[in-house]
Amino acid sequence: MEISQGGDDSYQKKFALPVDSEHKATEFRLFSVAAPHMRAFHLSWISFFACFVSTFAAPPLLPIIRDNLDLTATDIGNAGIAAVSGAVFARIAMGTACDLFGPRLASASLTLLTAPAVYCTSIANSAVSFLLVRFFTGFSLATFVSTQFWMSSMFSARVVGTANGVAGGWGNLGGGATQLIMPLVFDLIHHIGATKFTAWRIAFFIPALFQTLSAYGIFFLGQDLPDGNYSQLHKSGDKHKDNFAQVFHHAVTNYRGWILALTYGYCFGVELTIDNIIAQYFYDRFNVNLHTAGIIAASFGLANLFSRPGGGMLSDLMAKKFGMRGRLWTLWIVQTLGGVFCILLGKVGSLGVSIAVMLIFSVFVQAACGLTFGVVPFVSRRSLGIISGMTGGGGNVGAVLTQVIFFRGSRYSTETGLTLMGVMIICCTLLITLIHFPQWGGMFCGPASKSTTEEDYYMSEWNSAEKEQGFHKASLKFSENSRSERGKRIGSAPTPNNSTPDTYV
Amino acid sequence: MAVQHFLAASALLLSCLAVTSYAVTFSSLPRTLVLSVSTTQGHVLRAGEDNITLAWSLNTSLPVGTDSGYKTVKLKLCYAPISQKDRAWRKTVDDLAKDKTCQHKIASQAYSSSSSTFTWTLQKDVPTGTYFVRAYVHNSADEVVAYGQTTDAHKATNLFDIQAISGSHVSLHVASVCFSAFSVVSLFGFFFLEKRKSKSSQHK
Repeated sequence: MEISQGGDDSYQKKFALPVDSEHKATEFRLFSVAAPHMRAFHLSWISFFACFVSTFAAPPLLPIIRDNLDLTATDIGNAGIAAVSGAVFARIAMGTACDLFGPRLASASLTLLTAPAVYCTSIANSAVSFLLVRFFTGFSLATFVSTQFWMSSMFSARVVGTANGVAGGWGNLGGGATQLIMPLVFDLIHHIGATKFTAWRIAFFIPALFQTLSAYGIFFLGQDLPDGNYSQLHKSGDKHKDNFAQVFHHAVTNYRGWILALTYGYCFGVELTIDNIIAQYFYDRFNVNLHTAGIIAASFGLANLFSRPGGGMLSDLMAKKFGMRGRLWTLWIVQTLGGVFCILLGKVGSLGVSIAVMLIFSVFVQAACGLTFGVVPFVSRRSLGIISGMTGGGGNVGAVLTQVIFFRGSRYSTETGLTLMGVMIICCTLLITLIHFPQWGGMFCGPASKSTTEEDYYMSEWNSAEKEQGFHKASLKFSENSRSERGKRIGSAPTPNNSTPDTYV
Repeated sequence: MAVQHFLAASALLLSCLAVTSYAVTFSSLPRTLVLSVSTTQGHVLRAGEDNITLAWSLNTSLPVGTDSGYKTVKLKLCYAPISQKDRAWRKTVDDLAKDKTCQHKIASQAYSSSSSTFTWTLQKDVPTGTYFVRAYVHNSADEVVAYGQTTDAHKATNLFDIQAISGSHVSLHVASVCFSAFSVVSLFGFFFLEKRKSKSSQHK
């Protein structure tokens, strides 16, 4: 076991993974479940996966549900929009909760509070009740924010893109897996003897129970920070309980958070929209049967297994050589290419080519999600939770917008909607060119000056009174550890005297 | 002369194509069967419980020999226009292979030139809606050659309503409420445990 040499430890801490001065892991070992880092990773992706399964459990069973509840196409469309709109504000609230109470309690609470909505889906009896249960179940997608926040708290700058990408991607996998799981569970229950209209209701208990159990796992096995939980650290004085107004102020006044929120709407938002409409698209346009359409829809979501993590790893790889500027360039290129393939998807007229284009499109759009969260941890240290929440919420806003503009009613055929959505992706992604970090630069400009440091940027979030009380110490450590975002080219920039090098034995 | 040969040849070719193309359209079918259902319009039937009795026979005003080649009669429950509104998965399309108007099979019976009847108990998976019944007549090659239906050409008369089962049972209600309550209560249990743990760590 390696021993860390933190600055102000009152007792020795032993971690299974190499750690930096904040005790964040500097390596990401996928097949380890060691506490606290890798255990937090596995708990967070599994619970996020469960929430995705619950939120998108209805679409594959819609042919049965729409007959049982006498739904029209408008009812179904509205329920689909409701499912993704609840999380817009839930994600921002979750960001705040993580900043104040810690990701462990925040995510366990949300997961448990939304489980009743999934249980009650089985007793829905009208279009209105169906819309309501999908709306409240959709709130659970806010666990995305706690996942990203938790990974950003446990893993250092060098591997945070990878950790965020794998956790986010494997969670998103739930959206694809559910298209396979729910029909299987339904078939099983139907075979045992239940009528169709009862079997789908019983089937919803499976995702609901999975969600409940994952919340228990987080509570009993998880830990907010490498050094302990927020409540313990607050009481022992190791962690200062932050001021909500200040945290909120520093989040909303940082323009980079807003830009990333909008652009995330055009990778993740687009992904959610596709989850909702793609099975129907293949069913109607190419006349495949419902099972085949479901498998094609599932494969879109299942690409998340490697594409979003791939985006995160690519972000970290680019950062090694080119720093933050590399992360931004790669994000812009990959997301724009996603838009190009979306345009193509609407234009292609044969089934085989259409599936191929859809798969390529899914890889680019999901990788862009991973790349976005390679940048987000650096936008703010003090308000990391709210910035993550804003970006995540922006993703859902994108999903609502694209469904309302392009995929509702009969103004556009689905293929025209896809092409136009691709054009909108390319236009909105241009905003990434405006992001500039004074200490690292942006896509087109270098750093503000040779002497601007990471400390200047992160310390600007604390006023002198707070600094006198020592509340800014965590941000100070983060500044030192984020120096790797300068990349290899800018290696000659000055470093402050009290820097602590990354330590592992 | 050459032009006439050419026209004759192309007419022959086109008619061959017409015969070999297997897109049977509904509009090409003759309505030769008289089909009636014993339920009155507006009366709401319950899926899984009520019956309907269908009676069909060949239209007597047709010339003798119209029904040569008729082999089987397939009865189907079909959606009335009001139940198809805003529901593209029940759309009426002329090409019978793509038509989704009649999705519920009632029965398949051998054709007989005298009148026939069939009583059907509404299945439990029939959705709520307004319906009529259509009978497709198949020949020995299993191609559709004629039809009959209980309503008129505009599908406006003699329609009947079916009320689906809810699928929900009291036990489901109880289970949902219990599990939901348990989730919320265990959350408060977590908060309580958390408070206790942080208090005890403060005493250390």
